[in-house]
Amino acid sequence: MRRTSILIGVMAAAFALALPAAHGHETADPGVTGNSILIGGTTPLSGVASAYASVARGAEAYFNYVNARGGVNGRKITYKYLDDQYNASITVQQTRQLVQQDRVFAVYNSLGTEHNLAIRDYLNSVRVPQIFAATGARTFGADFRRYPWTIGYQPSYTGEARIYGRWIQKNRKAARIAILYQNDDYGKELIAGLRRGLGPMKSRIIATQGYEVTATDVQSQVARLKASRANTFMIFGTPRYSIQSFIYANRLGWKPQIFVNSVASASNLMEIASDAGNNKRVNGTISIQFLKDPTDSTRWAGDAGMKLYRQVMKQYLPKGNPNDVFHVYAMASAYTLVEGLRKAGRNPTRSGLMAALASLDSRKNPFLIPGVAIKTGRLDRFPIEQVQLTRWSVNRRGNGRWVRFGPLQRTPG
Amino acid sequence: MRRRDNVALGARAIGVAAFVVVIAILPRFLSDFRASEMARVGIFFIALVGLNILTGYTGQISLGHGAFMAVGGYASALLIAGRPGLELAQLEAPDWLPVGDGMRDFWTIPIAALVAGAFGFLVGLPALRLRGLYLALVTFALAVSVPILLREPEKLTGGTNGLNLFGTTEDRLTGAIDNTVHIPVLGKDMTFNDWTYYLAWTVALVGLAIAWLILRGRSGRAFKAIRDSEVAATSSGVSLASYKTLAFAISAAYAGAAGALLTILSTIVTPGSFPVFLSIQLLIGVVIAGLGSLGGLMFGALFLYYLPVGIQELADIGSLPNGLQDAAKSPGMPSVIYGVALILVLFLLPRGAAGFLRRLLIPLTKRL
Repeated sequence: MRRTSILIGVMAAAFALALPAAHGHETADPGVTGNSILIGGTTPLSGVASAYASVARGAEAYFNYVNARGGVNGRKITYKYLDDQYNASITVQQTRQLVQQDRVFAVYNSLGTEHNLAIRDYLNSVRVPQIFAATGARTFGADFRRYPWTIGYQPSYTGEARIYGRWIQKNRKAARIAILYQNDDYGKELIAGLRRGLGPMKSRIIATQGYEVTATDVQSQVARLKASRANTFMIFGTPRYSIQSFIYANRLGWKPQIFVNSVASASNLMEIASDAGNNKRVNGTISIQFLKDPTDSTRWAGDAGMKLYRQVMKQYLPKGNPNDVFHVYAMASAYTLVEGLRKAGRNPTRSGLMAALASLDSRKNPFLIPGVAIKTGRLDRFPIEQVQLTRWSVNRRGNGRWVRFGPLQRTPG
Repeated sequence: MRRRDNVALGARAIGVAAFVVVIAILPRFLSDFRASEMARVGIFFIALVGLNILTGYTGQISLGHGAFMAVGGYASALLIAGRPGLELAQLEAPDWLPVGDGMRDFWTIPIAALVAGAFGFLVGLPALRLRGLYLALVTFALAVSVPILLREPEKLTGGTNGLNLFGTTEDRLTGAIDNTVHIPVLGKDMTFNDWTYYLAWTVALVGLAIAWLILRGRSGRAFKAIRDSEVAATSSGVSLASYKTLAFAISAAYAGAAGALLTILSTIVTPGSFPVFLSIQLLIGVVIAGLGSLGGLMFGALFLYYLPVGIQELADIGSLPNGLQDAAKSPGMPSVIYGVALILVLFLLPRGAAGFLRRLLIPLTKRL
């Protein structure tokens, strides 16, 4: 009698153990049903970095556009983005929510360097794709061997600053360089890239000034940089501080050649900085571009891609500002994800999607400047690696716009 | 003791017992993920208990409790990683710093509380000379500067990206294991989320009991005397210096424990995890819970965690009219709703949730 009860107990225990194991061998990955694909991500919708909300909303608008035309292989894309307030500890909690509670197919377009770093180990350990991390930190493209489930999207900060360095080395032999940078990995990566690009001229960096993310003002930094008597001014900061830098350089009567990193070079920001043409320092500023500039209506008047962009904005994001270049970035990224999902086939799996994203080769993305290819490979996890130098040019009426010059250049990570 | 006091004490005892029972069995009724959310509520709860001792009972305002949480969070992270973990993360600790060789995550909580408590004691010293608005400003300065100071020794704390414990401390950090793996606790298997829930709430209930013991005795009376009138307290023989610094130290220790739990739950610690807004939020939470009372803290903690979450879910409710849904999605709207909700709560519950509870309960116990 006793033995039977033990036996029954053992069997019950074995059954209980077997249940979750049997459950674990599902054929389809979570988040994909017959008519839908659920993806998710985090973006700051409130707080100091809420300007980046457009990066989520633009992508959502594009998915809605695709869904209205039948979706991807008959499946509609649902994109659930949560507000992490630009706080990495909240990013972790919300990403766990997306994976465990909402059971998303993939984490897509989450924004911020430390925020993506904070979730990378977790996502790789549970084998959930971390797609198109919205940051230019090099590691998201470079460290794919250790993190096979992670892929970035935009050109790396290192690659961008290297192009500035090379251009200076070639065209401004007498450069004496002053740098304003955000005192974190993003700012430091740009400096490292610049030094690499400058090569033998890197000793020409004669002054650097950092500012804290929490700073309200960079006036004293700009004044000290001016005092170094530099003739070349690199602005490696986010929009708020780049605008201040232009204004203070002008007020202090400093007339350097200015470079501004692409994080802060959107046309609408440049227009604020140039104060209707009154700030002469803004004219001639150099940056890079890989997205079509939505404010440049003359250049893209008949362009099919920008027509599509305006149509999607009007129809699916009528309250959004169509001149906000973050919307263009978002749609470019969403476009590539749709391409990847199509490529992953009729029954997409997580590993199938990662394989598809590691073998992209397309020049059709309508939101990127002509010629920029989306190309990845087994050993290349940087989807966008081409940019073009661009110069802010102000006409006689005081209206400025970015004018690209020189050939497309590669930004190897 | 008079009969009414007995009845009130009995009602309170029943309330506390019911609270403990609900906390103990709640995960059975919640999804696995909701349990992890409630663990975060527990973290707020712990910090609020501490802040209430300082602000509610001793009358010393603090706009810097996020800084104490940061100290606790970093202390915990360094201890969990230890020298080997830091080396794997390509960091290193200076020789004089006793970070050890790595420690199981939950053992770091009391140590983090002690470290933050010591820091709180030091902050309490200059705070002796300051009152009201000036104290608020000094503590606010802490909230702004401490995360930056913690970031500065980049070789030790990993700079802006912080300390990522995942992958460097597999066996010491419970959160680094796959969520499908079950964690054995007292012969029972638990998911990671349930584990975090019980860890946070065990610390919270122990903390609540300690707070109650402190507040009902001599120290508690001294705290309240200082709050009500510093002059009267001094003339009754209460040492302002010792009790104010004591209140700061105790309060900071609670925040330190909360910070350590935040590190353990997030598996990372970054300077950005302790923004200035966190400090303000905590003060909001303690006001909403009711200053000078432990009864409403649960409400304050739930408010802090679920209001932002709820605002986000507003945008997902399909049945909402289009206009409202668009409004809920527009940038900045979460902050606006947060502010409006805050004003409403303060308007309807001027003495916080604790005052409301008392208003409900007094007529009931009077009748007995």
